[in-house]
Amino acid sequence: MQENILDDLLQKELIAPDDALKIRHFESARPFSLHWELTILLYLGVLLLNAGLGFLIYENIDSIGHVVLITAIGLVSAGCFAYAIWRRQPFSFGEVKSSTPYYDYILLLGCLTFLLMEGYWQFQYQIFGTRYGLATLIPMLLFFFVAYRFDNRAVLSLAITAMASWLGMTVTSNKLLSDNDFSSQAVVTTGLFLGAFLSAVPFISEHFGFKKHFSLTYLNFGAHLLMISCLAGMMALDESLIYFPLLCLSVGFYLWYARTRHSFYFLTVAVIYGYIGITYLLIKAADNFPAEFYLTYFVLSCIGVILFLTQYKRFFKNKTA
Amino acid sequence: MIAYNPAWLDALLIKDTARNWHINGLLSNEQWQAVQDQHPSPFYTPNLFVRIGLAIFCQILLSSAFGLIFLIGSPDTQTGVAIFCIFCGALCILALEMVAIRSMRHFSSGIDDMLLYVGATAVIGGLLALLPDSSAALVYCCFAWPILVVCSIRYLDRLMTAVAFACSLAIILLSVNEIPSLALYLLPFAGMMFSAGVYYFVHKGLQRYDLRHWHKQFTILQLLSLCTFYASGNYWVVQQAGHDFFQLEQPPISWFFWAFTFTVPALYIVLGLRYKERLPLDVGLGCTALAVLSYRYYYEVMPLAWAGTICGAVLFATAYLSIRYLRKNKGAYTYEADADSSLLQQAQEQVLAQVISTQTVNAPAKNESFGGGQFGGGGAGGEF
Repeated sequence: MQENILDDLLQKELIAPDDALKIRHFESARPFSLHWELTILLYLGVLLLNAGLGFLIYENIDSIGHVVLITAIGLVSAGCFAYAIWRRQPFSFGEVKSSTPYYDYILLLGCLTFLLMEGYWQFQYQIFGTRYGLATLIPMLLFFFVAYRFDNRAVLSLAITAMASWLGMTVTSNKLLSDNDFSSQAVVTTGLFLGAFLSAVPFISEHFGFKKHFSLTYLNFGAHLLMISCLAGMMALDESLIYFPLLCLSVGFYLWYARTRHSFYFLTVAVIYGYIGITYLLIKAADNFPAEFYLTYFVLSCIGVILFLTQYKRFFKNKTA
Repeated sequence: MIAYNPAWLDALLIKDTARNWHINGLLSNEQWQAVQDQHPSPFYTPNLFVRIGLAIFCQILLSSAFGLIFLIGSPDTQTGVAIFCIFCGALCILALEMVAIRSMRHFSSGIDDMLLYVGATAVIGGLLALLPDSSAALVYCCFAWPILVVCSIRYLDRLMTAVAFACSLAIILLSVNEIPSLALYLLPFAGMMFSAGVYYFVHKGLQRYDLRHWHKQFTILQLLSLCTFYASGNYWVVQQAGHDFFQLEQPPISWFFWAFTFTVPALYIVLGLRYKERLPLDVGLGCTALAVLSYRYYYEVMPLAWAGTICGAVLFATAYLSIRYLRKNKGAYTYEADADSSLLQQAQEQVLAQVISTQTVNAPAKNESFGGGQFGGGGAGGEF
């Protein structure tokens, strides 16, 4: 097929015969990339190893073997960190390329096994006693340090989740809704503040030119947490008067972000959350109206949203701006 | 034959190929610019996330609009509802043809996708509701099949193609199932034959330039036929099917199916590497995992925890050593990523990271004194 396209371009004299020769050579000598397959294997390896070790400890917690096991896990973790330190790159404010392709995964394995070991210590020896806050604070600090020092976004995500659980929340996207009790005032407020904080961090770090490429990780957690907390405040706490303006503010913020940074992702996300909020408010206000009313609302509002989304190019600022 | 403007589709194809050459430094900026200027494709194709958003809102819009029409017309018999469904489906297809594709030039925009899915579902659903209640599943499949095939050919839609493939497979298996007394023996082989046949013809089709617009669908068909070929002979599938449909504890010639379970994934991987075909390789890797799971289902070799640990270590070590080897030995294979890795692949990587870091922490979370919820989280990042 490429041959046909090449001939076509040659005929239209868009490509010189010399270039065509180069392209033919490139296509025939092109090596077969196994990048995707091997990366998945690495990921799966880290996953299975860590899950397996976790279950092993859990099952053997009262037997003699567990001392050996926990030592082994400690050694794995220490080994991973030792590798990370041994092959480290000099620290930089910008993005750092890992020294080897598996470097990031080894570091991730080290962090995950560290969690296993810490959990075990707490379970067996109560090293933190009942101060559970400390048990989550330590990994959080460690992960933030590791993420920034070794420039690893996966560990940064771990650090942010550790921070959230230190504050008593779950922020992993597939558990965000199921594991949090959003009907409690405290959780909603915490979520709101944490979400606002996470959304603000990128602007501070961009201002100082410090690890700018971490922005998306922060914003991704921040956006969902912030807007879900607002929606939860409206629906579960039934305080639309306070939370709807807050939702409007957050949606507005992310629309502004999408507009200035040309981010389609945050554009779509903000539109969807905003739509849910407005629809909820309207249905709540228009109680017991005939079905035609709601259906007409959905038809008209969806046409509006679709028009907005299809005209996004005009909505975005010019790249030069 | 194709609903979209073929010249524009060609332009897209040429630009995609040329972009790849440009990224690899084989075309100068001027040449790349000239190629772009000479091949305009005024389709409206938004970014993936906008496409998802548009699809969601288009779905809500269509269901509400149908609801409104339904309230106004209020059909009360089953035939009435069926005709109503066909009418709405036809409206969708009409909107797709006249508005979305012709006047607004949508192509993979979320809106044309959703119009097609809703339209086809409504037409097929209405048509099937017109059939007598006692009709066999085979009859339903036979009625749906032509619509699915026409839609996948005309609108170049991959999901439609996948459904059409599933429908064809169902027709074959259900017909074979009608053969008295031999059905049990023929079913696995019918599945294999059908999959192999599809793979063969699609492979031929992929080499034909005149069928270039359908190459993406052919790839989906290849993927599916590789999967169904393996599923047809996998011991677990055969045994479960035999148990459910024929009340057999053990299928006949079980040695053959066990051998099939383990050799086919290996064959896929070897052939995939040998001929540098990505699909057999990837499917082979997935099938290897299924083979191990199938075996574990019948013979528990070791406890789950140990199995997980050892498999994880083996996987990690294999990947580690392969990457090391590939980086030291330049040759026909490489660990370097292709420049044309798509946004979708990156998104998949993010999702994977997310899933993995949540899965990994379930075990320690069971230790109740670990306090404060679970750790985990994904490697969010990449260029959204």
